[in-house]
Amino acid sequence: MSGSAARRRLAVTSALIASVLAAFPAASQVKYEDILRGPGKDWLTYAGDYSAQRHSALTQINTGNVSSLVPKWVYHIEVGRRLSAIPLVHDGIMYVGNSNEVHALDAVSGRKIWHYRQEDVEGGSRANRGVGLLDDSVFFVTGDCYLVALHRKTGALLWNHQYADPARGYHCTVAPFAFKDRVVVGVSGGDSGARGFLTAHSAKTGEELWRLWTVPAKGEFGADTWGPKTLDWGGAATWMSGSYDPDLNTLYWGTGNPWPDFYGGDRPGDNLYSDSLIAVDGDSGEMKWYFQFTPHDVWDWDAQEFPVLLDLPYQGEDRKLVVQANRNGFYYVLDRVSGEFLHANPFIDQLTWASGVDKNGRPILVEGQAPQPGGVEVCPTVRGASNYMSPSFNPNTGLLYIIALEGCDIYTSSAREPVPMVGFAGTGGEKPPRHSNQFYLRALNPTTGERVWEYPMTGPTIMWAGTLSTEGGIVFFGDDDHHLVALEAKTGEHLWHFNVGQQLFTSPITYMVGDKQYVTLVSQTDVFTFGLFEPVKQVPVIKRTREK
Amino acid sequence: MQRLLVLLLFAAPLAAQNPALREVARDPNEDIYIGKKEHIAAGEQLYSIACSGCHGPGGEGGRGPNLVIGPAAQNKKPTQIYSAIKIGVPGGDMPPFGSMSEEQLWQMTAYVSSLSRPAYEVDVPGDPEAGKALYHGKAGCSNCHMIRGEGGSLGPDLSNAGLQNYVLQLREGVLEPNKRITPGFDPVRVVTDSGETIEGVAKNYTNYSIQLLDRSGTLHLLDTGGLKEIVFLKETWMPANITDRFSDDEIQNILAFVSRQAARIPSADADTETADN
Repeated sequence: MSGSAARRRLAVTSALIASVLAAFPAASQVKYEDILRGPGKDWLTYAGDYSAQRHSALTQINTGNVSSLVPKWVYHIEVGRRLSAIPLVHDGIMYVGNSNEVHALDAVSGRKIWHYRQEDVEGGSRANRGVGLLDDSVFFVTGDCYLVALHRKTGALLWNHQYADPARGYHCTVAPFAFKDRVVVGVSGGDSGARGFLTAHSAKTGEELWRLWTVPAKGEFGADTWGPKTLDWGGAATWMSGSYDPDLNTLYWGTGNPWPDFYGGDRPGDNLYSDSLIAVDGDSGEMKWYFQFTPHDVWDWDAQEFPVLLDLPYQGEDRKLVVQANRNGFYYVLDRVSGEFLHANPFIDQLTWASGVDKNGRPILVEGQAPQPGGVEVCPTVRGASNYMSPSFNPNTGLLYIIALEGCDIYTSSAREPVPMVGFAGTGGEKPPRHSNQFYLRALNPTTGERVWEYPMTGPTIMWAGTLSTEGGIVFFGDDDHHLVALEAKTGEHLWHFNVGQQLFTSPITYMVGDKQYVTLVSQTDVFTFGLFEPVKQVPVIKRTREK
Repeated sequence: MQRLLVLLLFAAPLAAQNPALREVARDPNEDIYIGKKEHIAAGEQLYSIACSGCHGPGGEGGRGPNLVIGPAAQNKKPTQIYSAIKIGVPGGDMPPFGSMSEEQLWQMTAYVSSLSRPAYEVDVPGDPEAGKALYHGKAGCSNCHMIRGEGGSLGPDLSNAGLQNYVLQLREGVLEPNKRITPGFDPVRVVTDSGETIEGVAKNYTNYSIQLLDRSGTLHLLDTGGLKEIVFLKETWMPANITDRFSDDEIQNILAFVSRQAARIPSADADTETADN
């Protein structure tokens, strides 16, 4: 071919490609309005929607047919060791996060569409709790705290931005939280002293829009709740995703424990804003209010279970509520407009560190329950009465479903000089000899905290899976015997189970592609997807040729 | 074209059994020569004369081993490469080049070392700004290749091309685009039972399903039960005639631009100021 002919051919080709590749169909972008509608055929946020109710409107799989649920496909993640992500699904594509990588899958066949991996990450492999979606972007964080935006159809890198410095003790695991035109992320590392914060970034460019510290700076309100030794560090990490009220333009986010975890001698005071629920203006990042569940925590009881937003009558009055089954063993009901404390009660039977809460929700401490060098038995365990296992709420039954861990630990402590990013050897919590802990799925009345029914588990209490509620009248959850289980939502009656054969660190989701509903649970190393039984159609070998 | 290929020069073979390869002490000459643009360029010239006959244009190997990938190239310290060039491979075909000056030996070492390093680290000759203008302009690269959100999707994203590829791979991708096809970008045409034809790249496929990104950017997640035919195309949409359209310098400028694309700036080059204050 002559040069001029070649140029003409390329010019035509280039023009053609340029004209047709101008943009992906806008209709299939993930719009803010799509997320506002809540979980229908798609599952668009870590907790399904902004209210974090984890209740799907899908009904194809229901109490009448769930017994015929069967595996449809399994996707193995080669480097998966302890998969902690909740997958998101949009437009037939499933996005699964893992340490420093994202897998995009055909949600019907389980086949990989694209895979993005960031190599040479400082600190290596970390947990990853999943991705966020908005417009054409898939957001995830690397272990060394880069917020990364990828193109949802190809995995192409759109932008990346390091928002926290590992040299200051940070690492990152959070599922990015996208709303309006921005994406919010938090940090891990509070157990090593890293000073917690939230940042909001432009969804288009990654530019930082605001930053809110969860440990005040010297001179700021709350600084006097710390001693001088720890204020520059302090913990109060923000490692779990939050929830959002679009009408109030308010983010609700739980914060982690103060540091050092088990010794409070060097941090006299309440240690604001550790172990708190903070309400944050979505535009400015200003804190509207806070509520601290465990002032001056010495048991490592982060408040990180994502806050559930409910609009319900409370004592005869319609209220905008925010509720949390806290790691400290109390179930809390707050007014989410004002932060007013409304109610708290234990959701576990074994709770020894506090005799109750006062009228402001402040715990009434029991003497002798602070960790000691020789150890002291305290209930609940250091893992907490609940943890990051997802709660869910079914508006039809009016029940809130939570995971509860009944158990106690021997808590030990030592009065050592706190050194950031250096572990406190000899401190922590260990299970007492011959003591048996036990997990339960508990259905609570969300305004009174009353236990309506419970479903006990039988495993070794190594499990971080949570719950999923559906309009089909089912509560799905993962148990500590490696099962995905379906219960009748109103009564807790067993309907179905499947043994995936691996520990579970994350919570199930449901979605629909075409006319079929699916349920997915990520296990330690694999993504399991289930659907209703139907005979497999014969597929003739297709004519497949390669041009010569 | 010939001149371009001549620029792709290759070094002396490096045999694992050569005792000289066990010499791993760091030499002060490494700081003078390794990674230095001018010495790499001088090394190219020397290798065009002394080495390309055995190691092949492009470093893919021939009578001598591949110097870009494989055991002769990977994880070799500069002192090991230097010794192999100087002493040769006793008992093998590789002759010693000890008669060359120390400077020439180290320049050849610098060049061989650069072959098996990510393109980003090599300081590829050329004008990256001119290459950027070509990339987004008359060369049409960005019609199919995205860099940080700008461009099309029919070809691989090049946002991290400098760290994911050797110079040889980038050059081969430009000059011989159909020689190797990146996984997930196999050009394909399918015909559905209803007679619709869809053409694009296969992100993945099995006997039972195919995930196809068509040329308009629409993703088709197809059950093969609804297809009549799948045809894998001989050629991608990457233009195969770039040397007819652009000068050697222009192509080198494009390579210089693409080779500098990194998802993250390697730490040695990064600003030491941290993101968190």
